[in-house]
Amino acid sequence: MPKVPVSQLKPGMKLAKPVVAKNGMVMLGEATELTQTWIERIDDMGIASVFIDGPPVQTVSREDALSALDARFAPIEDKPYMKNLKKIVREHIEGLYE
Amino acid sequence: MSEIDSRILRHKVESINTLPTVPAVLKKLSAVIEKPKITVVEISSFISSDPALTSKVLKMVNSAIYGFPGRIASVSHATMLLGLNVIKGLLLGVSVFELMQKTMNGLYEHSLACAIASRVIAQKKELKEPEEVSVAGLLHDIGKVILLLEFSEPYESAMNEAREKNLPIFEAEKNRFDATHADVGGWLAEKWRFPRNLIEVIQFHHRPALAKNAPLETAIVHVADMLVRARGFGFAGENLVPEVNPVAWELLKLSDQDIRDILSEMEDNMETAEEPT
Repeated sequence: MPKVPVSQLKPGMKLAKPVVAKNGMVMLGEATELTQTWIERIDDMGIASVFIDGPPVQTVSREDALSALDARFAPIEDKPYMKNLKKIVREHIEGLYE
Repeated sequence: MSEIDSRILRHKVESINTLPTVPAVLKKLSAVIEKPKITVVEISSFISSDPALTSKVLKMVNSAIYGFPGRIASVSHATMLLGLNVIKGLLLGVSVFELMQKTMNGLYEHSLACAIASRVIAQKKELKEPEEVSVAGLLHDIGKVILLLEFSEPYESAMNEAREKNLPIFEAEKNRFDATHADVGGWLAEKWRFPRNLIEVIQFHHRPALAKNAPLETAIVHVADMLVRARGFGFAGENLVPEVNPVAWELLKLSDQDIRDILSEMEDNMETAEEPT
């Protein structure tokens, strides 16, 4: 559920939280799929960023993330419970890049 | 190969209010929270008298660290809801944020993620007060801050050794200080008059089998710390995943889905639980 600045919004992105006007009125509900018009409207309202549905934008590449995972688990991979834990974490990380 | 006697270390920790390396904001806070019979009202006033502090405290109270569905709008509401110990812990957390970032970049992120994970596990285990465990998660590594402030050269050499030899940081610490950040954290928690359970969780988060009063809470922070490191959030001295203590792990009986839930909760909230500015 990343917070995306208005300048990076693209049509098709879905809102994770409603966009609310300064007077409290809900302008766009949760799960609204953004169109170019809506994006411009949000910008006009002076809103800086909105919560978008989906995994957070990753700052490292998938390869780097997975090789870092391997590196930090390497010394203890064979210890009790750790192999399964690594598998779960790996799947979680892979899910962030889908 | 002990360079520094642990008794000297302990003495320094207990006289933290006089150390020149410790910033004024922490000294001021230390003086307040170590008062023997401080009341919720006094703490509430202390926070309310500082608008910047109020804002940071409220932001943290309403963040994923505590997982409250409703909005807490006032300091008095927060203190009433959370109680003295959680508020003290929260105050420390917001006040040492910048210090954590300056002494060890990534430590605050690590601590924040640990607070979130601790809270989620505590809720899954249906603890009555998951916020208390959350505070322990937030503060479990505070000992590292003091060690770095007061003994930066030996600590940096400890970090180098940890990296070069793939050692957990607490082992490299033990080689130099005859004590670890867990011991230092425990002494600090004692000084600041936190309850025995919280002291124990901080003191034994790397050796949870030694926790006699709060084995469950200690196991929670131990496992939370491991999960944060497994996922790779932040930095806490080196980039290793510790082997989980089997006794602690079996005490919690977390399912694969539980682990996924904890990872998701951390992931979703790490960007929103930003610095308390």
